[in-house]
Amino acid sequence: MKKFNGTDKPWDLTSLPTTEVPKGSVPHAPTDDQCFLGSENIPEAPKLQEAVATIKNWFRASSLNVLAFGTGCGAIELRPLSTSRFDMSRFGITGAPTPRQSNVFIISGYLSTKTLKRAIRSYEQMPNPKWVVALGSCTINGGMYWDSYNTIKVLDLYMPVDVYISGCMPRPEALLAGFDYLMTDIKKGEANGWHHYLENLNWYRENQKQVINDWDLPEYSW
Amino acid sequence: MMELLPKIGWTMLSLFVAINYGFIINGVIRKVMARIQGRFGPPLWQPYIDIGKLLFQRNSVSHGIMFWLGPVFRSVGGIGVFLLIPVVVGEPRLAGFSDTGDLLLVLYFMAFGSLGMALGAGEGGHPHSPIGISRGLSQMTAYELPFVLSLIAVVAHAGSFDINAIIASQQGGVLHWNMFANPFAFVAAFIALLGMNMYAPFNIVGAPTEIPVGPATEYQNTYFSLMMIGRAAFAIAKMVLYINLFLGGASSILDAVIKIFVIYFWTVFVGAVFPRFRTEQSVQFFLRWPTAFGVAGVALTFWVR
Amino acid sequence: MFKINDKTQWDDGSGQVIDELKARFGDHPVHFQRDDLARVQIPQKDLLPVLSWLRGDTPFVQLTHMTAIDWMEEGEFELVYLVTAPTLLTSLMICIRVDREKAQAETVFNLWLHAETYEQEINEMFGIDFPGSPRQGVPFILEAWKDIPPMRRDFDTVEYCARTHPERPGREHQDTRKYVGRKFGEKGFLK
Repeated sequence: MKKFNGTDKPWDLTSLPTTEVPKGSVPHAPTDDQCFLGSENIPEAPKLQEAVATIKNWFRASSLNVLAFGTGCGAIELRPLSTSRFDMSRFGITGAPTPRQSNVFIISGYLSTKTLKRAIRSYEQMPNPKWVVALGSCTINGGMYWDSYNTIKVLDLYMPVDVYISGCMPRPEALLAGFDYLMTDIKKGEANGWHHYLENLNWYRENQKQVINDWDLPEYSW
Repeated sequence: MMELLPKIGWTMLSLFVAINYGFIINGVIRKVMARIQGRFGPPLWQPYIDIGKLLFQRNSVSHGIMFWLGPVFRSVGGIGVFLLIPVVVGEPRLAGFSDTGDLLLVLYFMAFGSLGMALGAGEGGHPHSPIGISRGLSQMTAYELPFVLSLIAVVAHAGSFDINAIIASQQGGVLHWNMFANPFAFVAAFIALLGMNMYAPFNIVGAPTEIPVGPATEYQNTYFSLMMIGRAAFAIAKMVLYINLFLGGASSILDAVIKIFVIYFWTVFVGAVFPRFRTEQSVQFFLRWPTAFGVAGVALTFWVR
Repeated sequence: MFKINDKTQWDDGSGQVIDELKARFGDHPVHFQRDDLARVQIPQKDLLPVLSWLRGDTPFVQLTHMTAIDWMEEGEFELVYLVTAPTLLTSLMICIRVDREKAQAETVFNLWLHAETYEQEINEMFGIDFPGSPRQGVPFILEAWKDIPPMRRDFDTVEYCARTHPERPGREHQDTRKYVGRKFGEKGFLK
């Protein structure tokens, strides 16, 4: 098989127009100390509180309710999870159709600005503690829709994310591995995205209002 | 007054055992339905984990006093029904307060739970709650008809509204059970049981794919755990009522456990294989053959007498 | 399905339809794109007569799709109506040219009710008006959109995205032509 090394027939690339994003012109680029990109350092508690917190976290991790809101194309990978082949109910994970009774919000795939407004409202209606799982590469850096006028590129600026599962789309086995990671994090007490959201609500609101032009949500959607 | 204290103690103990049995049976049901569908299911103690998680949530949103009273009424209905039914024949310690009320009071408590829940859920402000409530109440009026007809047949056969008297009329062998003495009433009542338990094909009330869990949409955390406890107690209470009315009462605790298991799993197995009826379809269904069976049961009783 | 013997003639009912179209509305050139797809360009004033004749008297009764093409350099929009004959399994593309500055066309809502949705989308994405069609101007996909209609070619998507949606640092942008050229050579991978 003939190998092509890229230099046999050089193209004249200087005459073709290019569209490059000028560096340094991106507003509100997230920095590590602003985004929730890891575990929050919550001060250590005394021994008894720590033991009680361990028990509470074990209960919370063993019975996760996933909000049945398929925000993007990744929701197609959520359906096989509840069927017989990749059974997720053996881990205690079930689906809940209402945000009032759910704990985990899965952002599956791209998030258009129209859906972002509704996702924020659903997220804020969920009772604490709650976790967000981001599926796919569109939530990490824009993915396939990196130059779309309608989708956001960095999910971390608008909602606190606890687990990223990369892929396009990740297979159900990858989703189960991500849930296992989330459950381990909850049991260790390190999945505190909801805490970060409540403490830095103003920063999140500023980012959200920058992409959502008709903001008509209340101060906080209880 | 002092002689009431041991009675209250034994009643609380039997209630506690019944609620736990309700949870365990719930866990077993999920496991069995999962195995029917060819997968593993959640662990057997999953309902306890759910209740624990609900109690350990950090905040919940309330919509006023009536909203809180909804699950309270539901639990009161469930627990009240259980207290008024003797669990084991001839065992006064497990009889609860069944000597203070008869079958009519039991019927009242059964309806009271659903109506109280309807009032409370309407306060939530969510548009799906009243839709679920209207469906549930219309279905309830439908299945009450064959149920009450079969009760009339049973009461006429026993000659009294008192549940102890109904049990006493069924003693003396298996063939004296109302299941065999009046098979029409038995069939009507057991089809009405499907509507009461709200398993498929009559689970239009809380159909998750249509309206999010119906009346329980806005309920979170502590309210929801209270509802789950009430639901467990109510389920067991209904089963105990049925074994007293049709299966001759339970002669021992083991007997009661086995009979409750058998009746509950009848509804589960039917629910695992049937799709869902719409509201008007289920109402029409209950007004046809089950009502016919109920009328036949009443006719049989009066003809035999 | 059915056979053609040469590219300029369809030897079944759809061929007769095209002949009659040419006889009635002028001898416009017909381009036979596929076995079952042909394209005719007609002047804007003939649009409703042609479409109502097709829907009423011929087997081409179904409006399958309706879309627009932006010919920015020529200063025109092209509206394409894809009508299908379910009994013959052939489709016909009826194209008209509309001025780009005053973009306005007649609505076909009275012939096909579902054209309302297509016209709503074209109005939102291209800015073409269809007076008489309901739901014109009702937001469909975009919410609170303040810029020019985004499917027009003078709307710079990349610049808008860089302005509004921040991105995570560390992602490299590669120009597709350079990347494909480096990997696959002059003709790309379609050798």
